[in-house]
Amino acid sequence: MARKNKIVNPESHPMGDILRMDRMPHIWCSGCGLGTAMTAFVEGLKLAGADYNSTVVVSGIGCTARIAGYIKLDSYHTTHGRAIPFATGIKLANQDLKVVVFSGDGDLFAIGGNHLIHAARRNVDLTVICVNNFIYGMTGGQNAPTTPISAYSSTAPYGNCEEPFNLVGIAASAGASYVARWTALHTRRLSESVSTAFKRKGFSFIEVVSPCPTVYARKNRGGTGLDLLKEFAGRSVIDHTADPTKIPLDMDGKIVCGEFVNIEKPTFWDTVQAGLKKRFPNIYLEKKHMEE
Amino acid sequence: MQPYGNPKVKIKHKKLPGRVVVIADRCKGCDYCIDYCPRDVLVRSEGFNTKGYHPPKVANEDACTFCGLCERICPDFAIYLEHENTQRITIQEPRRKQNIEFFPSPLRGEFFMQGDIACAEGALAAGCRFFGAYPITPASEIAEHMSVVLPRLKGVFIQFEDEIASIAGILGASWAGRKSMTATSGPGISLMNENIGLGMMMEVPAVIVNVQRGSPSTGLPTSWGQSDMMQARWGSHGDYGSIALCPKSCQEMFDLTVMAFNYSEKYRLPVFIMSDGIVGHMTEKVVIPPVEKLKLVERKYTRKTADKYKPYEAGPDLVPEFAKAGDGYRYHTTGLTHDERGYPDMSEEAHQKLVNRLVNKIKAHADDIIILEEKDTEKADVIVISYGITSRLSAPAIAIAKKKGIKVGSLRLVTVWPFPEKRIRELSKRVSGFVVPEMNLGQIVLEVERCSGKNCTVAGIGHAGGGIIRTEDIVKAITEAAHGKKK
Repeated sequence: MARKNKIVNPESHPMGDILRMDRMPHIWCSGCGLGTAMTAFVEGLKLAGADYNSTVVVSGIGCTARIAGYIKLDSYHTTHGRAIPFATGIKLANQDLKVVVFSGDGDLFAIGGNHLIHAARRNVDLTVICVNNFIYGMTGGQNAPTTPISAYSSTAPYGNCEEPFNLVGIAASAGASYVARWTALHTRRLSESVSTAFKRKGFSFIEVVSPCPTVYARKNRGGTGLDLLKEFAGRSVIDHTADPTKIPLDMDGKIVCGEFVNIEKPTFWDTVQAGLKKRFPNIYLEKKHMEE
Repeated sequence: MQPYGNPKVKIKHKKLPGRVVVIADRCKGCDYCIDYCPRDVLVRSEGFNTKGYHPPKVANEDACTFCGLCERICPDFAIYLEHENTQRITIQEPRRKQNIEFFPSPLRGEFFMQGDIACAEGALAAGCRFFGAYPITPASEIAEHMSVVLPRLKGVFIQFEDEIASIAGILGASWAGRKSMTATSGPGISLMNENIGLGMMMEVPAVIVNVQRGSPSTGLPTSWGQSDMMQARWGSHGDYGSIALCPKSCQEMFDLTVMAFNYSEKYRLPVFIMSDGIVGHMTEKVVIPPVEKLKLVERKYTRKTADKYKPYEAGPDLVPEFAKAGDGYRYHTTGLTHDERGYPDMSEEAHQKLVNRLVNKIKAHADDIIILEEKDTEKADVIVISYGITSRLSAPAIAIAKKKGIKVGSLRLVTVWPFPEKRIRELSKRVSGFVVPEMNLGQIVLEVERCSGKNCTVAGIGHAGGGIIRTEDIVKAITEAAHGKKK
């Protein structure tokens, strides 16, 4: 009882400087992988030595998108699917900012799929973290573009009959210059991956396979969040050399994790500047490229 | 004296008795001087002058014999020889400070310019430095012009994958502190409406240009209409205050774009410019004043410290202070109903407070925002209420009606939203009728009917777009409205 009455100073949490502790507890369910993914992200930022004042988090709509509300950075919770173009605007308007898009599979690949492939094609300097829980969590377990074939969901009561997307495959094919996949269990590797992606230039894509005990596991008899993590541990294999287009996820096959793509190529902004420089050799290009 | 043009004779470099002067801004790029210079002293420069020509420049001064042929042959009095010992009358030329290597924009001076381009120039003059759009007729020229000029002004141009991304992109850029704009037509606005709502909810300054075409759906892509007027007010779901400006000429495409930026910065919301295919594709004289003479309003950046700053705490003017991304305030903002801190708050009180403020911040400043152009309204029996291009279409009809002896006035809505309820209510008590010609089948006429109640008759002249309202139809409506009084 004494413990219950104790006033906990939210700032005393080691992540109190970067999380909005005044908004805790968060809305995510017990056993959800999002909190872990968020911790891994914060650790990744620390690892990369990020300047918190110039780091921006943009999210769309969904369970994952609520991360923007809990992180004490400049954070923008935008409309469904539109996080990437919004983030593109921020990044291009101020090159000094590091912009991270943190959203879910439905947000980034269903309603926002077009924006994702085009941002990857342009190689806009963004870090995109996509938490894949195979289902629409916030709206109550409807079919997602990642729901495995024959899995049950609120809108697939007889089993899903649509082939799911392979997220890393799409990102790599669309031209992302960094592509990785981890599960919520691989927290340290995920942190390192976030750090690598954050420090590098270009469009980076990280898929985080995460348990959804409340809707996905309940509809597919997957047990609790802990059961799902144990299942991930058994199913995941780390193979950095795997071809990202050939490692789709299904109900019970292998989850191939790793850093699949890490290549240097000019970003959208580099190309724009190179074009200008070619046309106007004497043009004065500022590093910041901002108005005086 | 050395024989001219003899290659065997080596011309010794002599100090010239003066220099060749090029008045770059007078040049029209005919290249006469370059071609006819016997010694190839002049070459075409890479840069542009204010008119957009490449003036000549002296490349090989050593070869010059000071013959003066360039001065003689120049049809534009743009090149002359300045002798050391001659005193010439110096005429004050308006000279630009910018480096001639770059496009000398924002432009200034008089131009024969397309409406769409005038709109783009207006945005540049107002300080717009981010433009994101998707091509669509009849608004594509704005994007094309921006793609040329914006990168040279240290701005950002991006052609997005669709209109949804365009509006999301400009909202993001605005949060990062740049004045941003997008331009589209009706179908594009339909796609944008979701994030127009986000812009209203998050209170982001931005300008949205709608060069209206014949609608609904794909409609008449290369033609015109005014059928998106209600969409500018009620397009996105929910209640919010909206500002829409209606230019009637290419000059106004420039002026009202500057004004739209001022309103958006002042009241923190996306502002509409409701142009149409006629004005957008018309070419007319446009006078662009120097940038320093434009009245520009900048957004209200906060001076509070990070711990005291609340992103949605509004003062008596109902407009919160702005902090841009990267300023160290580390605030949260969302399209969900939020409290003053920007945190989601699902309570009824928070929602009431927020939505009321979004509507009232425009209502409370309506008198500052609304601009009307009135002519002969004080003694009029009938008033023609029009906006945009229809005000120019109704001018001849008003003249004809006046010749018939009818007392006609005209009221032009420069700002359609917020609607000038007060003024129309006042006028409705004095006149026998309003005539509202518009290129849709009755949108703004509904607002006029609402405001005038039973005080006077209201006759709408609808036209679905793609053509123009006939003068005789307007005259007929004016005559009928005038006779209504005599009964």
